[in-house]
Amino acid sequence: MAIATSYYLEELDERELPQRFLDAFAAILAHSNYTLVLDAASRMKAHCGRCAETCPVYQETAEKRDIPCERSELLLQVYRRYFTLGGSLKARVGAGFVLDEAYINRMAEEYYRCTACRRCKLECPLGIDHGLITHLARWVLAEVGLTPKALVVSVREQLEGKSGNTSGIPAPAMQDTCEFLEEDCADEHGLKIEFPIDVPNAEYIFFPAVSDYLLEPDTLMGNAAVLKATGGSWTIGTKNFDGINYGLFYSDRLLDRIVSNEVGELERLNAKKILVGECGHASRSAKAFVPTFCGGEDAPEVVNIMEYTHEQWKAGKVKFKPDVIKQKVTYHDPCNLARSGWVTEQPRELLKHICCDYVEMTPNRQDNYCCGGGGGTVSIDEIREFRTMIGGKAKADQIRATGAEIVVAPCANCKKQVAEVCQDHGLDVRICGLHDLLLEAIDAPDFMKVPKDDEDGDAPTAEEN
Amino acid sequence: MDNWIDLARGPLFRISLAICLLGLLYRFGFTSWQIMEAHRKAGDKRIPHQAVARATLQWLLPWKLMKIRPLLSVASILFHAGILAVPLFYVGHVSLWAGTLPGWWPRLGSGPSDVLTWMAIIGIVGVLFWRLLVKSSRDLTRAGDVGILLLLLALAASGYWAAHPASSPMAPRAMLLVHMMAGNLALILTPLTKIVHCILAPLTHLLGEVGWHFPAASGRDVAVALAKENEPV
Ligand code: HEM
Ligand code: SF4
Ligand code: SF4
Repeated sequence: MAIATSYYLEELDERELPQRFLDAFAAILAHSNYTLVLDAASRMKAHCGRCAETCPVYQETAEKRDIPCERSELLLQVYRRYFTLGGSLKARVGAGFVLDEAYINRMAEEYYRCTACRRCKLECPLGIDHGLITHLARWVLAEVGLTPKALVVSVREQLEGKSGNTSGIPAPAMQDTCEFLEEDCADEHGLKIEFPIDVPNAEYIFFPAVSDYLLEPDTLMGNAAVLKATGGSWTIGTKNFDGINYGLFYSDRLLDRIVSNEVGELERLNAKKILVGECGHASRSAKAFVPTFCGGEDAPEVVNIMEYTHEQWKAGKVKFKPDVIKQKVTYHDPCNLARSGWVTEQPRELLKHICCDYVEMTPNRQDNYCCGGGGGTVSIDEIREFRTMIGGKAKADQIRATGAEIVVAPCANCKKQVAEVCQDHGLDVRICGLHDLLLEAIDAPDFMKVPKDDEDGDAPTAEEN
Repeated sequence: MDNWIDLARGPLFRISLAICLLGLLYRFGFTSWQIMEAHRKAGDKRIPHQAVARATLQWLLPWKLMKIRPLLSVASILFHAGILAVPLFYVGHVSLWAGTLPGWWPRLGSGPSDVLTWMAIIGIVGVLFWRLLVKSSRDLTRAGDVGILLLLLALAASGYWAAHPASSPMAPRAMLLVHMMAGNLALILTPLTKIVHCILAPLTHLLGEVGWHFPAASGRDVAVALAKENEPV
C-alpha cells in the first residue's frame, strides 16, 4: 500500500516500514526516558474521557480518533505489543495486533492532528501527557521518513543549508534589514534604535524567530527600542540568528542539534545569556532544552523578551505611557509560554498599563486554547482548512466573544495562525506582537529621540553614530 | 458450601491478598526506581518540585475533579470513598485480621459501613451510566472498563446482602461466597489492571515531569544506534 497523508511528504522509502518503525522505536526507548511515561500511561489509563472535554480538535470534530486518550492509545498499543513481556506472550499465542503499513499511516495522520498543546494534560486525573506521547510518536515517525515536508525542508536549511536558518535569509540580508529597521524607526517613530551585530562579550545574544526579519518589523523595532532604552547589552550573531526550532515538533535528535548551535553562537561571541524574541516554541525549546543538551545547571540562562521587558519596566529602566492604545485589546497566550505558567502575567501587566480597554479571552493563561497551529502544523499550508476551521475554531470563538479589535499574539507561529483563523472565520481584527504596541507607547528617554530635522528620512544609522 | 467458604476466606484470601500487596509494592518500587533512573540520566536535573507537588495534591483531593463533568465526579467520589473505606475499616473485615492489625486501626460499625456501601453502589452505577451516556466516554470504553466496574458492583452489592441476609435474593451462604470470591478477584486484579492507580497516583505528576527531562546524549545515541550520524536531514 502507498502511504497517504493529508500533508505533503518527501519521497518515502516504504520498504519494510513496520520493521524500520520498530527498530527506530527500540533505539529511542533504549536511549531515552520515554519508557517511564509509556509504562505508566499504559498501566493506568482510566479511559474516563475527561481529556476529550479539553481538546479543541475533539470539541470541533467529536470524532473518536480525536479523543486525546484514543490517539495516545495508537502508540501505546505498539509499545505494549512489541516492548512488554505481556505483549510478546500474547503474540506467542496468536492474539494481539500486528503493526502494518496501514497502522503506521494512521499514526502519521493522527499525530499531526494534535498540536501538542498539552491542554488535555491539565484535566487528566492520572497526569497522562498526550503532548509528550505525540512528541515521541512524531520522533519515531520521523526516523522512518514520515514528517511533513514543510518542517523537514526548514530544518534542512537551518542545519545544512547555506543560510543556516529556516527562512533562508543570508546574514548580509539580515544586516541590511536591521539597518533598514533602524532608519524606519527613526522616520516613523522618531526613535533611535540599534541592532548590534557580532558584538563580543554582550550579556545577551538575541534569537528571534528568523521570520520576524521578513514579516514582523514592528515587533523587532519594539524589541530593539526596549533594549536601547534600558541600555541592554546585547547582540545578534551573524553565524546563527534563528531561534526557530522545529526539532521540538518532531525529533529530539534535531532539537539537540539546533539548541546546541544556539549555544555555539553564544560561545563564539562570548555572550552570557540567550534572549529569545516573541516566539513561544523558540522560547520553550531553548528554556527547557538548552539545559538538557548543553550542560545542565551550567548551561547559559534563557530569557524571553517579554520577561526582560517586564523586569526592566518594573525596575524603572524603561517607561511606557499609560492608556496610549485606544482600541479594545485582548491577549492570546502561546501554549509554549503559558501552559507551564512560565510567561503569563508579564505581558498582561504591560498591556493593562498601555491599553485603555484590555479584555481577557476565556479560558486564559495556563488553561488557554491553542491557536490551532501548534506543534509546527502552522507551517503546513496544505492543511490550512483543518488548522483554521477545526483546530482554530475554539480560538476564533474566543476572539469573537471578546469583541477585541487587536489581538496580541507574542509568537511568530501564533501570529500567522491567528491571522489565518480570523481571515477564515471572517473576523476583522489586527494581530500583532506585544512589542509592536510597546513601540507605540514607549516614553523614550532623550538620548533615543531623533532630532526634528533628522526625522524625514535622514536618520543616523548605527554606523553613522 | 462451608468448605468453599473456608477455602475462599482462608487460603484463597491469603493468596489474593499477597498478590495484591506484593504486586502493589513491586509496582510502586519499580516505578520509583524508573523515575530515579530517568532523573539520573536526565541532562537537566532541576525538577520544579512545588509545581509537581501542587499538581499531585490537586488530584488526590477531590475538588479539582469538579471542574469538568461534575456529575461524573460526584459519582466517582462516592464510589471511591465506599470502595476504599469499607474493605479497610468495616468491623466485619477488620475482625478477619484479628491480632494482625494494630489496636488504633479505625473500625467502622455496620451503620456507617452500610452508608458507604450504598455510596459505592450508587457511585458505580453513576459512573457506568455516564460511560454509556457521554459519547467520548462511550467511545473510549473497553470491555475491561465495564468488567471492572461490574465486578466492583457485585462486590459491594453482595457485601451488603451478606451483611443483611433478610433482604438477600440468594441463599445467605451462597451470597457470602459470591462476596468473598469477588473480593479475592478484585484483590488479584488490583496490581494487574488500571486499578494500580491506587498506588501509582502519587507518582504520576512527578513521572510526567521527569519524562520531559531527556538524557543529554539521547539524540546522539539514537543517531548512532540507527547508524544515522552522518545522514543528512
Ligand atoms: C487512594 C487511592 C485512589 C485514588 C487516588 C484514585 C483516583 C482515581 C482517579 C483520579 C480516577 C479517574 C477519575 C474518575 O473517574 O474519577 C479513578 C478512576 C477509577 N478508580 Fe480510583 N483511585 C484510588 C483507589 C481506587 C481503588 C482502591 C479502586 C478499586 C478497587 C479504584 C477503582 C477505580 C476505577 C474502576 C476507576 C475508573 C472509573 C471509570 O470507569 O471511569 N480506585 N481513580
Ligand atoms: S495536546 Fe492539545 S491538540 Fe493534542 S490532544 Fe491534547 S488538547 Fe488536543
Ligand atoms: S483524562 Fe486521562 S485517563 Fe481519562 S481518558 Fe483522558 S487520558 Fe485517559
